Amino acid sequence: MLIDLHPANRVLDETLRERFNGTPEKLGQLKLADFDGVSYKVSTPDSKTVLHVSMYIACFAQLRAYGADDVLRREYGNLLEQTPEDGFDVTVKIDLENLPENKEDLIRKVSLLKRNALAAPFERAFTAQQEGNESELMVIQYRPDEAFYIKAQHDRVTVIFSTVFSEETDRIFGKVFLQEFVDARRSPATQNAPQVLYSAREPPMELRGLPNVVESENVGFVTFVLFPRHFVGPAAEGCISRIQLFRDYLHYHIKASKAYMHSRLRIRVDSFLKVLNRARPEQPDDKKEKKTASGKTFTRKETIGRPLSPVHDLSSHFQDPLHNPSTYGHCHL
Amino acid sequence: MAHRKVNVDQYADEDIFVDENQTAQGSTAVSAQTEADVDARAGEVRNYLSRGDTPAAVIKALENPPAGREVTAVKDKNTATVMSALAAARSTDILAIVKSLDSKQTDVLMKYIYRGMASPELYNAAVLLAWHEKTVEVAGLGSIVRVLTDRRTV
Amino acid sequence: MPGVTTDSRSFCSQSNTLRPYLAAVRSTMTASLCLTNFSSQVVERHNKPEIEARATPEVLLNPVLISRNESERVLIEPSINSVRVSIAIKQADEIERVLCHKFTRFLMMRAENFYVLRRVPMSGYDISFLVTHVHAETMYKHKLVDFLIQFMEDVDREISEMKLSLNARARIVAESFLQQF
Repeated sequence: MLIDLHPANRVLDETLRERFNGTPEKLGQLKLADFDGVSYKVSTPDSKTVLHVSMYIACFAQLRAYGADDVLRREYGNLLEQTPEDGFDVTVKIDLENLPENKEDLIRKVSLLKRNALAAPFERAFTAQQEGNESELMVIQYRPDEAFYIKAQHDRVTVIFSTVFSEETDRIFGKVFLQEFVDARRSPATQNAPQVLYSAREPPMELRGLPNVVESENVGFVTFVLFPRHFVGPAAEGCISRIQLFRDYLHYHIKASKAYMHSRLRIRVDSFLKVLNRARPEQPDDKKEKKTASGKTFTRKETIGRPLSPVHDLSSHFQDPLHNPSTYGHCHL
Repeated sequence: MAHRKVNVDQYADEDIFVDENQTAQGSTAVSAQTEADVDARAGEVRNYLSRGDTPAAVIKALENPPAGREVTAVKDKNTATVMSALAAARSTDILAIVKSLDSKQTDVLMKYIYRGMASPELYNAAVLLAWHEKTVEVAGLGSIVRVLTDRRTV
Repeated sequence: MPGVTTDSRSFCSQSNTLRPYLAAVRSTMTASLCLTNFSSQVVERHNKPEIEARATPEVLLNPVLISRNESERVLIEPSINSVRVSIAIKQADEIERVLCHKFTRFLMMRAENFYVLRRVPMSGYDISFLVTHVHAETMYKHKLVDFLIQFMEDVDREISEMKLSLNARARIVAESFLQQF
């Protein structure tokens, strides 16, 4: 169901499942991509039974500075390799002959590799806030032009995203979406949600004076204000997973709505063509079929204008997550 | 191929199209007399309106429009006069007023309706749309065709 | 002056002007669609839509503007063998401007399918149609005018529907993300 993005990588998940349950064969090399320029390599370089899963993530150096190594060691224990494979930042080695009891848990953990790497600065900020300390402003340049910033203060944790809208249309659609985020606290269903602030061009106060902050017409800044109830205890895991994916979630939905608009336009244009066709008078029956001197028969085309495509009927046009009743589980339109 | 550079039409004297209004000669020229007329008419229309006599105001405003190709201040002034008369009419009275006009006057009226709609920032288009509807009802599509074809534009 | 009241207030509400606006466009269009075949007077054996060629002034008729308010206008430019109709669509805010632009661009890229649509709008307008005598001869005139009027209504409706659906979607997206906190 596709309103929300999954923090776990589905392809990794399925690959691991296959490998754990199937007969081991020599795997050439499986290269995968994830959001934000992250890529994975799944291979069996040494032996058929030892799986190497490596991840390349551009901002790993920054993550490391915020404690990523500790988090990864905690999650993956002795599966984590000391030195990652060449060209990658993290490698996890899995011995297929010595799988733990709970295979599902391992599959889930490994497919959350990206999420766990990016979790480090969040965890550091949450811990700092819980201890009543302020933290430094942590900068993670997870995409070439975009970054997110985390800062813990004594009563809250602030997460700021800078995002680039490559097209004018994206910017305007984005503004509509983000306005709803900002206004969401007014509705009863989401009144306990974190506060969201949006600034179109100017970076928010917390980022003033920071180098490398891109300021242009196409850049927007979104601030999340998290209070302890959002990240204390069991809530932390979900909170981290969801906030990380915010930028991709937003852009995914912007693109989905552009595609939806496009399909609506197609339908509308087809209906216009139909109306225009009505303007053409009916050909009298005897004129419809004509014969040339050499005996070839042909019929006169009735319709004016070439139709664009097979006429769409509303129920069968492309699968749009919001308008397909079977796919929006808990959301009520 | 020197002949290709020659505009043969300028030598075909009989056939050349002379837009009389373009050259502004004869009765279509805008002169001082016209200006005085327009001002006088404006004054009279104001009188009628202040007396509440809208039908008379409209008829007076439509008299002797300064017509011709060029758009001048005089024509603008007259347009303003006509617009003030049209705007003063109640929506229920419009049909009666239009019915009382003869065909020449409805043609002039139609011209002014379109002239007014050409400047929506100056004149209330909703008023003009109401007048347009009633005028077409009375005078038919012919009045519109005459606006399109008559070169003496207001 | 007592006793004199102008009823202009009844003219001001938007929905009241839609019907007379479309009626005015319909009657003006019907009147201007008197077209006949007319070869070019400038070039032998050529036959061009005179409103586009504009080679000789005597075949051009007076252009006429029908406006509902400053942002919604229809410009009709007639000539002896062709009529150009340009429409300015209401765009109240940024999002409507983007949607209108997308819509008209989508249509204009498919102008060949539409026959009467012009590929480029006239300046100051959002979309333009060019109706030639050929169209008037092969299609029913009243149906052609019907098409144009329906087009004007549908464009407005489509833009407002798209805007509504965008807002609804935005609300769902925001709620879905935030309610899990």
